[in-house]
Amino acid sequence: MLSPFRRIAGIVGIAVVATLGITACSAGSSDSASSGGKSVVVDSSFDLKTADPNREYETTGSIVAKALYETLLTFKGDDVTKPIDGLASYEMNADNTVLTLTMADGHVFSDGTPVTVDDAVFSLQRVQGIKGNPSFLLDGVTVEKTSDTTLTLTSAEPNPALPYILPNPALSVVNKKVVEENGGTATDADGAESYLNGASAGSGPYMLESFDVASQVVLTKNPKYTGDAPAYDRVVLRNVQGPTQKLNIQAGESQVALDLNPDQVAELDGSDVTVLSSPSRYMIFLLLNQDPSVSAITSNPDFLKAVKAGIDYDKIVDLAGEGSVQPGGFIPSLFVGAIDASDGNQYDAAAAKSALTASGYAGEDVTLNFPNDITVQGLSLQSVAESVQAQLKEVGINIVLAPAPVATELDAYRDGKETVGLWYWGPDFPDPSNYLAFTPGELVGLRAGWAAGADQTVTDLATAAKAAVSTDERQSAYAALQEAQNASGPFVPLLQPAQNVVTSPSITGVSLNPVWTIDLAGIK
Amino acid sequence: MSQTTAPASRPQPDVLAVAARRRLRFPAALRNPLAVTGTAIIVVWLLLALLAPMISPAGPLAQDFERLQPPSAAHWFGTDQLGRDVLARVLDGARVSIILPLLLVVSSLLVGTIAGSVAGYFGKVADEVIMRIADLVFAFPTIILAMVIAASLGPSLTNAVIAMLIVSWPAYARVTRSLVVVASRSEYVVAGRLLGNSPFTSLGKDILPNIIAPVVVLATLDVGTAILLLAGLSFLGLGAVPPTPDWGAMVSDGVQNFSSWWISVFPGLAILTVVLAFNFLGDALRDTLDPRTADAVKGRAL
Repeated sequence: MLSPFRRIAGIVGIAVVATLGITACSAGSSDSASSGGKSVVVDSSFDLKTADPNREYETTGSIVAKALYETLLTFKGDDVTKPIDGLASYEMNADNTVLTLTMADGHVFSDGTPVTVDDAVFSLQRVQGIKGNPSFLLDGVTVEKTSDTTLTLTSAEPNPALPYILPNPALSVVNKKVVEENGGTATDADGAESYLNGASAGSGPYMLESFDVASQVVLTKNPKYTGDAPAYDRVVLRNVQGPTQKLNIQAGESQVALDLNPDQVAELDGSDVTVLSSPSRYMIFLLLNQDPSVSAITSNPDFLKAVKAGIDYDKIVDLAGEGSVQPGGFIPSLFVGAIDASDGNQYDAAAAKSALTASGYAGEDVTLNFPNDITVQGLSLQSVAESVQAQLKEVGINIVLAPAPVATELDAYRDGKETVGLWYWGPDFPDPSNYLAFTPGELVGLRAGWAAGADQTVTDLATAAKAAVSTDERQSAYAALQEAQNASGPFVPLLQPAQNVVTSPSITGVSLNPVWTIDLAGIK
Repeated sequence: MSQTTAPASRPQPDVLAVAARRRLRFPAALRNPLAVTGTAIIVVWLLLALLAPMISPAGPLAQDFERLQPPSAAHWFGTDQLGRDVLARVLDGARVSIILPLLLVVSSLLVGTIAGSVAGYFGKVADEVIMRIADLVFAFPTIILAMVIAASLGPSLTNAVIAMLIVSWPAYARVTRSLVVVASRSEYVVAGRLLGNSPFTSLGKDILPNIIAPVVVLATLDVGTAILLLAGLSFLGLGAVPPTPDWGAMVSDGVQNFSSWWISVFPGLAILTVVLAFNFLGDALRDTLDPRTADAVKGRAL
C-alpha cells in the first residue's frame, strides 16, 4: 500500500512532529501513514450521540460499540437467524422463560483483566438501570448471577426473542471495575458516560483513541483482544454526507462508504470500486385505516384487496435500485419467519379492478399521508408515494398525496388518524416477535385502526406464533400469520430498500449485519 | 416611425388615430434592448404555459420512461427519479410557477392599493390601523413569515398563495398611501371635492390616474420576487403538493438526486429566465412611467 513517496513523507512528518515537541493531537487521518500499521478510513453519515455502549441505540453508535466491546451472544456474519456464542454460551429452558448463560473462559478486557460473570451482570443491569434508549430491550427481564461462571435472565412471560436481543451492541459487556471507578452505577445516577466517551472499557477488537460526536471517531487495535486480530491497526470513522462520500471513495480518500443511495451507487458503475448491495432491515409499508370513522373507503375489505392487487411491486423495487427486494410479509427477508415475495401480495390489475367494483368505490379522493423529509437508506418516501399514486390511478383509485414534515405527521400516524399512510419500520432486534406489533390491537395495528378483536383469524395466528418454541415451529407460525395478514390485514408491505456499502479495491472483505450495520474489525 | 406620409389635407381626427395606432404598436418607452428581450421571453413563456398540453412530449405525471436518463434526443431535458419527462414537467410547471405569481401580484396590488388609498385619503384612525398592520408584517423577514403561515395552514398551492398575499400587500399599501397623501392635497383634488364629488369618486377619478404608474412599476418588478417566493415555498415542501409539477419542487427533487444535474438545472434555468425577464420589463417601465426615479437612475449612471 505505502508508496515510497508516502513513506518518506511519513518519516519527514515524524521528524517535524518530533522537533516541534508536539506529542498530542494525532486524530487526523492524514498521519495514518506515519503510524506504522495499516489504517482504514470509513465514511458514514453520523447519528452518533455517545460512545457509552449501554446508552447508545443509534446506527453509528452500534458500529462504534460493536468494535469496542463484545456481547454475551452474537451473530456470525450477516446471518441473524441463529445466535451464536459470544462471551458466553446459552441455554433456554423449555418454556422460554429462563435463559442461562455460561461465561466462556479466556476473554480479557483491554486493561488485561479477565471478563467475569460480575462484569456481565453489571453491564446488563446498567442497561436496565440507566433508563437510556436501549433499556427497553431488557424490559421484564431479571438478571441474576447464579454461580462464578453462570448468570440467568428470567422473564415472567415466555421470551423466545431474548437470544436474538442479546447480540445487540447496546448489551455489550463493560469492565465493571473501570466503569465503577469513573462514576458508573447500574442506576440512573450513572455518571460514567463522559469517561466512556474518552476511553473504552471493553474486550472488543479495538480501543477508543478519540471521539467526536460531530466529526470523527478514531479506534486503535486492542493488543489484548483474544479473537482473530483485525486486519487494520487503526480505523477512522468520519462523519460525511452521502454525495461527499461518493467523491471521497472515488478519490481514494476513504476506503469504505456506508451511506450511498442506490442512484449514487449506480453512477459509480465502472469506477474502480466494489459495491455490496443487500436488502436492509427496513420495511416500507402502506397502511389503510380500518377504522370506519376515519375512512369508510379504506376500511372496506374489497377496497383493501383492490389496493393490494393494484400496486406494481416490481416497479417499486426497481425504483429503489439494486439490492432492494419486496418482502413477502411484514417480516423482512433477513429474519426467521420471513416469507418469499412470491408468497406475498401480487400485482393483478384485473383483480384490482373487479375488487374495486365490488367495493362500491366511486372515484372519491383518498388521502395518502407520508413524511416528506426523511429518507430510508437514501430512498425518499416521496418517490415511493408518487409511484404508488400513479399505479393506483391506473386501476381507478384516486390517491391525493399529503406530505408533511415527519415531526408533524408522526402524531397523526401514532394516533391512528391517517387514512392511508406510508411509513417504514426498523426492527429493534432481529426477531419476528418484534413484528407482532403489526397485529390487531397492538402498537402498529392500532395506528391502522385495527382494534383488538377486529380480525380473530390473525389474532389467533399471532397468539400461536408467540407460543411457538423451536425455530421451525416459529418459521411456519409466523409465515401463516403473515399470509393471513396479507389476505385481510391493513398493511401492504412494499419494499426493503437496499443497504449499499462501497469499498475501494484495496479492501477485500467487509462484514455486514442488519443489527450493527458493519463490523469494523471485519474489514480486510 | 414611417407613418409620416399622411397628406396635410387630412382632417385632424385621422392624425390622432394614426398616432394612437402607432402607440399601440410598441410603446416608445419600451424600445430598448432589455425591455424587448424581457417582453419576448415573457411572451414565449406565457405561450408555452398556455400551449403546454399540446406541445408537451409526454404527460407531466406519466411515469412511463426509464429513470434518471440524462438529456437525449428522446428526452431533451432527461427524466427524473420516477421516470417522468423533465421537459414535460418544466412546460407544465410554467402554468403553476408563472401564472400563480402573476395572479398573486395582481391580487396584492388590488388589496394593497385599496388599503393604501383608504389610509392615505382618510388619514387618522384608518391610516394608523392600516399602517401599523403593515408595519407588523414588515417587521418579519418575508420568506420566514410566509413559511410560518404556509406551514400552519398546511402544504398546498392555495395556502402558499394566501401566505404570499399576506406578506406582499403592505409594500403596495405603503407606496400608494404616500402617493395619495401628496395627491390629495393637490388643488384639482380639492376643487373636485368642493364641486361635490364623493371621496370615492375623488379617489377613483382624480387621484388614481395620477398614482397608478409607480404602483404598476412596483408590481412588474415584484413579479420576479413572487415567482422566486413561490418556488422557494415549493422547494421547502410548503407549496405545490406532489406530484404537481412546480419549478421549485422540481429543484428540490434534484437536490435529492444530486448527481442527476438535469433534474434541477432545467427548472432552475426556467426560474432564472422568467425572473430576469420580468425584472428587465419592470426596469424599462420604471424608466418611462416613473420619470423621477428614472432621472435619478440616469443621473447616477452618468
